[in-house]
Amino acid sequence: MEEKKQQAIEKIKEKIQEIDDVVIKEMVTDAGIVTIFYFSSLIEKMTLQSMVFIPLVNHVNQIFQVSESVDLEDIDVIIQKLNAGQTLLFFHKPALLQVIDTYSAPTRSITNTETESTVIGPQDAFTESLETNISLVKRRIQNPMLKNETRTVGTETNIKISILYMDNIVNKENLDRLRGRIDNLQYPFFTDISELKQLIEDNPLSPFPQHYMSVRPDSVSQYLVDGRIVIFMDNSQAAIVCPTSFFELFVSVEDYYNRWTTASLLRMLRFFGFFMTIMITPMYISALTFHPEILPYELLLNLQESRSKVPFPPLVEVLFIELIIEVLREAGSRMPAKVGQTIGIVGGIVIGTAAVEAGLLSNILIVLVATSALLSFLPPIFLLSNTSRFIRYIFILSAGLFGLYGLMLAFAWLFAHLLRLNSLGTPYMTPVVPRKARDLFDGIIRFPIKYLNEKKGISRAQKK
Amino acid sequence: MSTDKSKRKLLNPYHVVFLAQSVMIGTGILSLPQQLSSLGYSQAFMPLLFGVIASVTLYPMIWINSKYPNENLFRINEILLGKWLGKFINLFFVIQFIIFIAGIISNYMHLIQSTALQEQTITGPVLCFLLLLVYIVSGGIKSIARFCILTFFLTIGMVYFTHWAFEKGDFSHFLPLYNFFSVHDFYEAIKRGYLSILGYELIMFYFPYIVDQKKAYRHTLIGIWISILICFITTAISVMYYSEWQLENVEFSVLNLFKAGEFSFIERIDIFGITLWVFLILSTVAAYLWCAKKGVDSLLSKKSNAYLYILAIIIFFVVKMPFSRDFQEKLFYGANYVAYMLILWPILLIMVYALRKKKQVQL
Repeated sequence: MEEKKQQAIEKIKEKIQEIDDVVIKEMVTDAGIVTIFYFSSLIEKMTLQSMVFIPLVNHVNQIFQVSESVDLEDIDVIIQKLNAGQTLLFFHKPALLQVIDTYSAPTRSITNTETESTVIGPQDAFTESLETNISLVKRRIQNPMLKNETRTVGTETNIKISILYMDNIVNKENLDRLRGRIDNLQYPFFTDISELKQLIEDNPLSPFPQHYMSVRPDSVSQYLVDGRIVIFMDNSQAAIVCPTSFFELFVSVEDYYNRWTTASLLRMLRFFGFFMTIMITPMYISALTFHPEILPYELLLNLQESRSKVPFPPLVEVLFIELIIEVLREAGSRMPAKVGQTIGIVGGIVIGTAAVEAGLLSNILIVLVATSALLSFLPPIFLLSNTSRFIRYIFILSAGLFGLYGLMLAFAWLFAHLLRLNSLGTPYMTPVVPRKARDLFDGIIRFPIKYLNEKKGISRAQKK
Repeated sequence: MSTDKSKRKLLNPYHVVFLAQSVMIGTGILSLPQQLSSLGYSQAFMPLLFGVIASVTLYPMIWINSKYPNENLFRINEILLGKWLGKFINLFFVIQFIIFIAGIISNYMHLIQSTALQEQTITGPVLCFLLLLVYIVSGGIKSIARFCILTFFLTIGMVYFTHWAFEKGDFSHFLPLYNFFSVHDFYEAIKRGYLSILGYELIMFYFPYIVDQKKAYRHTLIGIWISILICFITTAISVMYYSEWQLENVEFSVLNLFKAGEFSFIERIDIFGITLWVFLILSTVAAYLWCAKKGVDSLLSKKSNAYLYILAIIIFFVVKMPFSRDFQEKLFYGANYVAYMLILWPILLIMVYALRKKKQVQL
């Protein structure tokens, strides 16, 4: 018996022999010889000192109070625990294996959000630590009904994820559906929660995000109370919120901190901004290529004048500048901050002035493209502005093909597509396809806050 | 079993309302004043009469469907008329649907070509249109119903464009009331104008999917009367705005109503109107195509998505067929008459049903 256990320890040692940061120490204590295993990269010296060494030397019994014992046969589980930052203590005489959670990896402190910043309201954002993120939410919802289920995903990476929901509000069918999707995942590695999001979406081929993603604890808590399900992943800053609707992509949590008048105004701006950003340049193409007669004479004259030096058809002209803007945007976000600004200014001057003077572009188009580029940044979450960037090319090409007719056809496609999408089995276009008429109170116009006390139709909540 | 049943029942009341409503408004309304022109200025109230006729003819449809709550008209035909006769009639309907769809698309495309795309052939636009159509229809009847709802809210704003015509029009055109003389004119107007409000008869095909079948009559009626109201507004404003000669000779008079508009930044609202009209056409045609596909399913006793593509290809060839425009128009016009038959068809079915029932009782 004793020998078997000794063999098990040898096996563990064998498994971890080529990992350099493993520490194996033998100590003589009151309870006989103890072998200690841990990964030094996952543990801070102070934690180890206070939780393991001091108790071992002074009162061995303290160790047994805070540790749990593990079956020696289960070598994979033991290795897994070591990997998770726990310390193994092997007591030789009674041949006992105990583990103590000593995990203390370096974490970032809580800072402001850069992607979803607001003027009013709390400024804290999630970090990359799962525990911190959950604690940020639990601080806002102090209710025992807030449950969190932990699972591991990724057959190679074994990353922890947490599913949070309000047990008394959430729709159980949605929850089961989500659990099923997560449990059926056979994906080897996850480095960010965005990968998980794409894998559990209803229609991964669509350009539209079907789950909401946020790094703001206040917005996530709000959705939780509304009956949504939230998923956190260790090492990812964002949280997935599902189900969600198309209209919620235009909702910022700041809308609820502003007065209803301001909030409604801003929300309308964002909503129509999305359609403007995908329609402005295609309109230019179709008006100039196919239907110059829709423009008033003076405007047409202006346009012709500014285009008189441009040798390309409007479609090529628009594609040219749109691609340049795309490049500028991408380069600006990749470059080191100090260089980025310079490039932005130079790019602006080169495109804004030089390209027009060189006769490559008309200056009216520059105004239009700049406006549409600005409008594409209006949606409060970045996912949608990426989508509008992509969708715009479909509109540009169809306007180049058939003018206004093509534009309307693309528009019809857009709506037909949105109408077919589901988020966790719930129609994506609520409340236009009405699931609940009261949702319109918090649609494009945000009604005064006292009318917003009902759960949204899309959550299909248990209680009203 | 219960899950199976709940999956079949897809259409909520608002879906039913707007399916009836949106399918009715197609290209018909654009030329409605011209179709009714035999009545001159008295035509303004015709749409209301159409509404009454539609409400009455809707009743037998719902009645025969409610006897077979889980079957569409294709199946009912087979049950009541026997397998072979039923299938023959179904084939007839499917062909009618195809030609009807092709007629609507062809009409619309000619309109597009004459207003918006003057320098192009219609092959490309028709192809793209059909692709989109197949995409919508492949989502099933619920997807079509949702599209209909959206279409209504996107296009209802166009009614606003008629207000200039309303301001410039003359109320005195309405008076005196009922100043037409011959019954023949009246008959002619019904014959030509009623086409514009066809579409509600499709309820016989999507009835099995309705959740609240007992109230289907009421919901469809709401849809019908929304459309009738829109038709009434447009004809009434046309009557106010145009002279009798214009009513008779301006082909797409409703489009010209838009032209009365004056904006400082847009010269021709009618082009916007006619291109936005693609939503209305899509919602109408999608419902018909869905029914045609169901028909093929029942003819071949097999379900497959491939039929949808085959139907779309057939429609493409009908629209692009190498015959004269004259022949095409005759064909499409003929299909319209068959559509009238479809409206009266349930009355015949009811008779057959009654006869069979009697027989069974005697036995």
